[in-house]
Amino acid sequence: MTIEQKEKFVIPIGPQHPALKEPAHFEFSVEGETVTSASVRFGYVHRGIEKGAENRNWAQTLYLVERICGICSNIHSTTYALAVEKLAGVEAPPRAQAIRQILVELERIHSHMLWAGVGAHEAGFDTLFMYSWRDRETVMDLLETTTGNRVNYSSNVLGGVKYDFTPQQLEAILKGVDYLEERLHYYMKIVTTDEAFSKRTRGVGHMSTEEADALGVTGPTARASGVTRDMRVDDPYLLYDKFPVTIVLSQEGDLQARFVVRIQELFESIRVIRELAHHMPEGELTVRFPRRIPEGETVLETEAPRGNLFYFIKSDGSDRPYRVKVRTPSLRNFTSVLVGVINHQLADVPMILAGIDPCFSCNDRSVVFRRA
Amino acid sequence: MTTTEALLAEGVSLVGDRFVSQNSPEPNRIDLIVEPENLLACVKPLAEAHWGFLSAISGLDPGVDSGRLEVLYHFRNKAAVLTLRVSLPRDNPVIPSVCGLIPSVSLFERELMEMFGVVCEGTPDPRRLFISDDWPEGVFPLRKDYIVPPLSPSGKGEKGSTA
Repeated sequence: MTIEQKEKFVIPIGPQHPALKEPAHFEFSVEGETVTSASVRFGYVHRGIEKGAENRNWAQTLYLVERICGICSNIHSTTYALAVEKLAGVEAPPRAQAIRQILVELERIHSHMLWAGVGAHEAGFDTLFMYSWRDRETVMDLLETTTGNRVNYSSNVLGGVKYDFTPQQLEAILKGVDYLEERLHYYMKIVTTDEAFSKRTRGVGHMSTEEADALGVTGPTARASGVTRDMRVDDPYLLYDKFPVTIVLSQEGDLQARFVVRIQELFESIRVIRELAHHMPEGELTVRFPRRIPEGETVLETEAPRGNLFYFIKSDGSDRPYRVKVRTPSLRNFTSVLVGVINHQLADVPMILAGIDPCFSCNDRSVVFRRA
Repeated sequence: MTTTEALLAEGVSLVGDRFVSQNSPEPNRIDLIVEPENLLACVKPLAEAHWGFLSAISGLDPGVDSGRLEVLYHFRNKAAVLTLRVSLPRDNPVIPSVCGLIPSVSLFERELMEMFGVVCEGTPDPRRLFISDDWPEGVFPLRKDYIVPPLSPSGKGEKGSTA
């Protein structure tokens, strides 16, 4: 055995982490600069939400699940509401569905733009980071104007939505997405043509379609490797059957493709928001919702900004959930990082990690564990 | 037959006669009741044929009185969901790991093990994933007999720690 083979270093990274703003602990084994294995430990922001849901009634849990994630909060409450409505045999009115769909697409826009900023920052391109975070404020302002909140919009109730969109608000949304569209074209130009940026992204963290499938990745990360999966198309919920989106794919499978796919997805989101805003169904915002829900189980999966979001809900006929199981997209995508970093340079790890748009609060849910 | 029904029929036929019984709780879903010793034999044809993907593994506690624990393997293919339901004795919940067939679910199994105390035999990494290191051994928070301790008035938990 040579000296090089014996010298295996384990580099612990985190929970306080230079590349990410949320806590997780990684251990990378390296030989020289090359990563040979990786493992992960979560739980630093665990709040015990799955257990908490069993101790709250159906309506209270709606507000609890909205707090699973601080970025894609609304998709959690929407998915939960849709699943519980399915269990109760109740359907929200079309106008409520349209409002929900506009909100989840606005959320996708601000989530992807936030990620684009973080990704650019990791690549050493802070100008793009500041641009995209500034432009993202357009969406945050729209959310605040329509729902009163920037992050937990709390727009859903069981059986519908709380807030209507006035014609003036719809106009503001249309104006906002016009501006964003223009900016996104500019970002697209940067990520595809800027020489320095391409050097940090082209060919880095490459995943073939087969690998992406085997690693179980989901969302834009998977679609950047040519995996044709999008719950909005595969199993349309809300009004995605009447106002569909087109799946955005790339065969490149590297970091650059993940930028390109996310930006192209936003053009789709903007298109669908426009269509909805021009064809808003009229009518009520809510239907009456029962306090108790008949016994039963349901599985509902939606397309969160980061990918496939899974909810399994069981009712025992009482006024509270018997079991709420949540599997967030990031948990699937993490496996790809643990495998994907092997044989890469240690310096590429932050970019590969950032490439899946990891979200730790989503993962950290189900333990009863309190931080003061 | 709709596309979803055709997909479900294909999934069930891949599993063959290795399941005990089936039911359809929702139009797009079929649940197959599977004995733990047959789990790998049921997962293998689905994984090899790339019938969708293993979307999640749910633990389910049907109640202390039942003396059982359930593990649900949800396979998703487009709009179709095929669930393999395995019931285990509560006092010895051992199930073979499916990581040999679907390596990407290692994190799912780690979560299942620490939350429900189910042992996934042969899983590559049995360490805790979410639960903190000082959590007591043998206490599984998502089991129904685990009662959440009330918060102290200070809101800082039972231990009163200020961590």
